[in-house]
Amino acid sequence: MTNQSISVVRVRDTLMVTMPADPDDVTVVALQEEVLRAMERYRPKGLVLDISAVETLDSFFARTVTETSRMVTLMGGRTVIAGMRPSVAITATQLGLTLGGTMTALTVDRALNLLSDTRPRRRLR
Amino acid sequence: MTDLPQGNVPIKSENDIIAARKAVRDLATRLCFGVTDVTRIVTAASELARNVFLYAQAGVMRWSTLDANSSVGIELTFEDHGPGIPDVELAMKPGYGTSHGLGLGLPGAKRLMDEMEIHSEVGKGTSVTVRKWLRR
Repeated sequence: MTNQSISVVRVRDTLMVTMPADPDDVTVVALQEEVLRAMERYRPKGLVLDISAVETLDSFFARTVTETSRMVTLMGGRTVIAGMRPSVAITATQLGLTLGGTMTALTVDRALNLLSDTRPRRRLR
Repeated sequence: MTDLPQGNVPIKSENDIIAARKAVRDLATRLCFGVTDVTRIVTAASELARNVFLYAQAGVMRWSTLDANSSVGIELTFEDHGPGIPDVELAMKPGYGTSHGLGLGLPGAKRLMDEMEIHSEVGKGTSVTVRKWLRR
């Protein structure tokens, strides 16, 4: 089986990543490294992770996404996870997954709005 | 009774976890489970296949179709010859897990499925069976 490739694209001052439907472990780990390299290179405000195609979000994927988001925060950026499918949201909740407080948005469009909002960030509780 | 579809997927590498997920998705879709149940079953399979890989390095997932009392279901068994689970009751508690997971594996998979049975012997291996019935 070949490993999928994901591209990290810069759109203005945001990094965009679209996850494939069924990402394998190697792809998920590669994503983390590529995102952090792109953070250093392009100095964006943040990262939008489009998971609207993702059909399976297991604990490994969730943990890597949470870690990546934390690393992006340490570098000074913000992460928004966009487009989670209803079936994935139901499953993730029943499984007990959390995304460690990472911001979420219904669509990529709304995620971009969140990132361009320059007002001080309110903490979610 | 007609021959019900069944098969197995060896789990020896991380990519085999994807292969196991695909086999389960194909079967659950073929049995006409709804999209949310397909996602639940595939995700549970992913967690259990990962347990096999993380704790035992190798094992197998056997999948089969259930047909009982005019009800159709899916049965998945994950077998390995790994270290075994010393305390199954403890392993079912959230937060347990000595490998790289989140400790969600077993209890999480149980919540996503209808039935779960664990047989484990220290030093011999572990067998986890889960079932999901199609509501009609």
